Amino acid sequence: MELQIRGLSKRYPNGVQALDDVSLTIPTGMYGLLGPNGAGKSTLMRTLATLQEPDGGAAVLTGAGPGGADLDVLADKPALRRTLGYLPQEFGVYPKVPAYDLLDHFAVLKGVGDRGERTALVEALLQQTNLWKARAKHLGGFSGGMKQRFGIAVALIGNPRLIIVDEPTAGLDPAERVRFLNLLSELGEDSVVILSTHIVEDVAELCSRMAIINEGRIRFEGDPLAATASLEGTIWKRVIDKADLPALRESQQVISDRLLVGRVVVHVHAEAAPGPDYAPVEPDLEDVYFCTLRGLLPAGAWSGGPGRPAEGAEAAPVAVDDLLR
Amino acid sequence: MPVLWSIARYELKYRLTRISTYVYAGVFFVLAFLLALTEAGAFESVTAASGANVLANSPQAVAGLVTILGLFGVVVTASFMGHAVVKDFENRMHPLLFTTPLSKTAYLGGRYLGALGAALLVFAAVLPGAALAYLSPWPDASLIGPMRPAAFALPYLAILVPNTLVTGALFFALAAGTRQMLPNYVGGVLLLLGYLLAGVLAGDVENLRAAALLDPFGLYAFEAETRYWTTAEKNTRLLPLDGLVLLNRLLWLGVGAAVFAWTAVRFRLSQDVRTWRRARVPQPEPVQARPPIVTLALPSAGRSFDGRAALDQTLSLARRELRAVVTNVYFYVLVVAALGFLAIALAVGDSIFGTPTLPVTAQVVQVVAGSFAVFVIAILIFYSGELVWRERDLGADGLTDSLPIPTWVPFTAKLLALWGVLAVLMGVMMAAGVAYQLASGFTDLQPGLYLTQHALQFVDFALLAVLALTIHTAVDHKYAGHFVLVLYAIGLPILLTLLGFDRTLYDYGSDPGVSYSDMNGYGHFLGPWTWLKLYWAAFAVLLALASTLLWRRGREGGVRQRLRLARGRVTRSVAVTAAAAAVAFVALGGWIAYNTDVVNDYRTDAEARTLQADYERQYKPYETLPQPRITAVEIDADLYPERREARVRGRYTLVNRTDAAIPAVHLNLSSDLAVRGLRLGRPATETLRDTVLGYAILDLRQPLAPGDSTTLDFDVAVETRGFENTTRPGAVVGNGTFLSNGVLPHIGYQPSAELADASDRDKEDLPHRPRMAARDDSTAYGNTSLANDADFVRFAATVSTVPGQTAIAPGRLRREWTEGGRRHFRYEMDAPILNFYAILSARYALEEDVWTAPDGRTVDIQVFYHPAHDYNVRRMIEATQATLGYAEAAFSPYQYDQVRIIEFPRYAAFAQSFPNTIPFSESIGFVADVGDEDDIDYPTYITAHEVAHQWWGHQVAGAAVQGSTFLVETMAQYTALMVMKAEIGETQMSRFLGYELDQYLVGRATERTREVPLVLVENQPYIHYRKGSLAMYALQAMGGERRVNAALRRFLDRYAFQGPPYPTSADLVRELRAVTPDSLQYLIDDQFETITLYENRTVEATAEAVGGDRYRVALTLDLGKVRADSLGSEQPAAMNDWLDVAVFGERDGREVRLATQRRRFQAGRQTVELEVTGRPTRAGVDPLYLFPDRIRADNARSVVIE
Repeated sequence: MELQIRGLSKRYPNGVQALDDVSLTIPTGMYGLLGPNGAGKSTLMRTLATLQEPDGGAAVLTGAGPGGADLDVLADKPALRRTLGYLPQEFGVYPKVPAYDLLDHFAVLKGVGDRGERTALVEALLQQTNLWKARAKHLGGFSGGMKQRFGIAVALIGNPRLIIVDEPTAGLDPAERVRFLNLLSELGEDSVVILSTHIVEDVAELCSRMAIINEGRIRFEGDPLAATASLEGTIWKRVIDKADLPALRESQQVISDRLLVGRVVVHVHAEAAPGPDYAPVEPDLEDVYFCTLRGLLPAGAWSGGPGRPAEGAEAAPVAVDDLLR
Repeated sequence: MPVLWSIARYELKYRLTRISTYVYAGVFFVLAFLLALTEAGAFESVTAASGANVLANSPQAVAGLVTILGLFGVVVTASFMGHAVVKDFENRMHPLLFTTPLSKTAYLGGRYLGALGAALLVFAAVLPGAALAYLSPWPDASLIGPMRPAAFALPYLAILVPNTLVTGALFFALAAGTRQMLPNYVGGVLLLLGYLLAGVLAGDVENLRAAALLDPFGLYAFEAETRYWTTAEKNTRLLPLDGLVLLNRLLWLGVGAAVFAWTAVRFRLSQDVRTWRRARVPQPEPVQARPPIVTLALPSAGRSFDGRAALDQTLSLARRELRAVVTNVYFYVLVVAALGFLAIALAVGDSIFGTPTLPVTAQVVQVVAGSFAVFVIAILIFYSGELVWRERDLGADGLTDSLPIPTWVPFTAKLLALWGVLAVLMGVMMAAGVAYQLASGFTDLQPGLYLTQHALQFVDFALLAVLALTIHTAVDHKYAGHFVLVLYAIGLPILLTLLGFDRTLYDYGSDPGVSYSDMNGYGHFLGPWTWLKLYWAAFAVLLALASTLLWRRGREGGVRQRLRLARGRVTRSVAVTAAAAAVAFVALGGWIAYNTDVVNDYRTDAEARTLQADYERQYKPYETLPQPRITAVEIDADLYPERREARVRGRYTLVNRTDAAIPAVHLNLSSDLAVRGLRLGRPATETLRDTVLGYAILDLRQPLAPGDSTTLDFDVAVETRGFENTTRPGAVVGNGTFLSNGVLPHIGYQPSAELADASDRDKEDLPHRPRMAARDDSTAYGNTSLANDADFVRFAATVSTVPGQTAIAPGRLRREWTEGGRRHFRYEMDAPILNFYAILSARYALEEDVWTAPDGRTVDIQVFYHPAHDYNVRRMIEATQATLGYAEAAFSPYQYDQVRIIEFPRYAAFAQSFPNTIPFSESIGFVADVGDEDDIDYPTYITAHEVAHQWWGHQVAGAAVQGSTFLVETMAQYTALMVMKAEIGETQMSRFLGYELDQYLVGRATERTREVPLVLVENQPYIHYRKGSLAMYALQAMGGERRVNAALRRFLDRYAFQGPPYPTSADLVRELRAVTPDSLQYLIDDQFETITLYENRTVEATAEAVGGDRYRVALTLDLGKVRADSLGSEQPAAMNDWLDVAVFGERDGREVRLATQRRRFQAGRQTVELEVTGRPTRAGVDPLYLFPDRIRADNARSVVIE
């Protein structure tokens, strides 16, 4: 089973091209969709979750239909919803309802009709999402992490084959985030799980496959480890004064910069050491991400996937807060 | 301060960039334009709303229009004011704003002023809207007077601006205090509640002052101040800005300022709102030991997506939605408000002359249902929006929209929840109704009636709920949705009326009407009601389907996308259901139209008017043809209550009392009758039979010579076929038939069937006609106003009805038998009667008694009543006895040997006096609760009035000219007052006269044509009853009851039981003048022959102790008298009149009169001194309100003891 997305496009009435001919093939397991804010991630997620209509394109969940047929994600919404687990980017819930009641309610809405089975399922979900002790509390009193875990519990009802988790760690404190990622890591390997995020570590820690999206286009698709490996020996680090940054940008392919005790640590992409002040760096996924956003890597460098960094794409400005977490 | 202004400017600018602002302004402009055109008579289908003589652009009419529209402005004010603060919180802007050096005053004040400015600009659109309408070519030119800018500016400045200031402050405070929009809607409901409560209070003139102050919008303050304005004043005077109006405005501006100040003090430029509840801080998560990382394993759970599952899902959702609503604090607020309203409505709502009605279930249920209806519209509008928007407001739409549920599930669930909300509120109010009954010590509960009444009402609102949800779904913008619903609620009925489409077939959810009566239950109303509700239910299914198709699921909000999605949702079952519903809708509509238009004749008001005009155009030429008169009536009527039909065969004996031979007999036949046969006693041919206008001409082969007689045999039927657009109570009903002879054939053209209203006649190009013939028009003396085809007649009737019912007709019951399974009754009159009778039939209980005259003669008294309504039967019998006693002693012997009072269903609220037979509505008197000593005993009053008609009406009736009802109604009223005076105290009497005075003054203020002096009354109830009471009471109080009665006795002696020419009011006034001393003749000039009002006032009342228990009371009086013309223009009149000055004190907690002095007064300021025993509390002039005075509250005042 895999999710095949072909040529998905969406332009908003205000002219923003949210999705531009997006094609992806997403196998089962955890799949990371990485991109800066406004890249089109949520539009893609909502489109796959039946909440938005694309202007064109197709999406098929192979082998998920009745009798192993393919499921047309865009056309057969009722069928998709039966096998969908969707955790929206931001969501609210009835504030004055105990968690247990609301989860039970969602189980009914997801078609779990038998009371006994439903009780067992709801109890198990609360146990496994670590909400058991809080089951009688009103959702209005939940912390961000608890709410996200509750959302996952809702998404998991009904053994979904397609799970979409949109920006789940935004706004969580570090401890909550770890707990949440741990929970995600336990999701089975036989469903398609799409984790959309702008946080590189989320993908690095969880996903065996990933794509990078920016300005509505897929800039990269593939294996994070292979991508990281392919940068081996091309990333260099240097610590400079803030004032020197503009000049350095002129002369070098600066892929990221980060403040460190009043000075700036820059990562530079170069085939060879750009100078004596530069130290080699063991590349990580973040370097892959920024290289991709800046269009520094030729598409051919990547293992598999139709991702194709746009030719001559302008280096997208990277917001400082993408780096400062 | 500059910061404040710049914030205000910014807020105003923000509003002015919003399209909604212009939409609101446009709507107000159009509403004002249409409403003004309507009032100005521009629409053929609608009669001008105000009196025909009141100009459409008179200051009062403009003010009324502006203020009514201003009420709807509350929606706009709530929205503007709410958003002015809430938008910062919704957009999470407040942390940014509140951390700037912005002062609280500048922030709150600026936002408030900005929103206020925007709202006032929107409301200002009303003024050009109305003005343009008046200046346009469409209004009826006679209704447009000179345009006065002040007439427009004043209501805007004195009503709309203060109202917006006040309501704006309240809304702003609510929104700022809670940082939510929701409370504003509840607040809006509460404000309107204040207005509605004021309306309930104002129903009784004794509470008018309280109402005037309670109404936050000031409408009832104006009502109180302008209540007695005559046509002339309405057309010329600007709104008064003193008295209650000023007090109301100041009071509410004070409330607004206080609320705003409170908000300003309490408001914190802080992150979170302070609540009275424990703040909900997210608590740290309990730390739990966690199992090591594994793959999540969940128990398997079977899932199903069949219809059953969808049903379970629907119910689960509905339960959750309902719980969310009814556990919310705002719902409690609404419930408390509803109960408060109900309590007041029950306490003051249903009283007559201030005397409450017994809390019988039919009565209480009506008040409960009425109170509920007040709230339900607000609730439907408000909660339909909340429900449709709940997920999106919570931000849960992402979760819920992607759930594997069919799209009809959430819509259906929300509909069920909305129904549930209605049911819960209904249940609470029902319980409150029962509690009220029990608390009043009334245990005669009818739980079944509660249930049926509420079930019927529930259906109405359930249908409306579908529409409300559909509108909110389709509009897809919460506040716009609310606005559309408000527009629908007020605008559609107006629009339908304007377009002449005001029939049930076009008005969603409407029905032909339901009327409950204890006697007849829901009777024949239920069937047509059910058909219409089924018809609209089919339409509601279509609406629900449309909603399901348009239901917002996901992010796509564009019209094109939504329509595309909707097309995608058309499944086979949707199509099949839609087709079935459409077929049902069309079929039911066809069936209804068949019933209303084919089986029956549906007519618009305009069509009915034209028909009436055609009758006049076609047959008026026959009016003066000599016709025979009826001298004897023999009726054989068969009533079929269960079918609501009657067959009446009868024979009139006709005599030619004219000097000419009569070649043809003309018959007027009510178009409600099916005529089976008409046959004259001599050879004749029917040359005309007009079944539409109801006219027939029978040509005699040999003309009927003067003095000669013949007979007319008729065979007619009251038939009921199918049902009509509006279900009429009808004369023959299941239990409680009341068939009067108005529907039977009459001889000759009937001028009473002509169009009376001047504007109606204009529309039909008919010349105006006088309401009645002039008093000196002796050609009209040949008829009474009761009949123009008979004088006194011999009467006998046989009536048959179903077993279990008793049928009654005037006359003595001679025989009673059962034949063919039906009960037959034979009644014969031993004395001649006017040709005015009725047939009644129902299942009655009977209470009997006798009245014995001083000479030993007895009169049987019977009250036929609904078995459950025995409460006041004895009271009625005693009143009958008292009236017989008084009238025999004062006037003349009673002409029959029995009096019967017969209850009939509450479809009409009157009692009517036929010869020895008095039908009496179940809603008046039978269920009065005359408990308190001070309560006005109106069952006695009405009974006495009707019994008195056996003299005034049945012994003597006035000629059909002006003043005719003075002889009948005013004299019956006088008799009743005298009977009451003997039975009750002065306090009650003065309260009663107070009501009479109010009704007289209100009546003349709303007169559509012209006011006339009492003796020239043209069948105007406010004159012949109300002013008649005052004038006659004053005459006997000043001149003596015995003298007045002597005059009446002489009048009766002369005219009783005489044929034509009939007497006029001039004949009676002559007798009255004859017994009135010269010094009081002016009283007859003033109160009988002209329109004269006093302007009496006690300016100062002081007292000093003069030793012992004696006090000397000094009164400064300001007295005056005016003459008014027929439109109410006044001229001061010379005065040298007798008036009472009285001083009151207290004994045992009750007010008692310490002294009265009657003396002559000139107009102007003067002082009077009286010495009294006992401590004076109150003193003044004309304390019993014997004379009309528009401001009677200042007749007396509290005494200041020096």
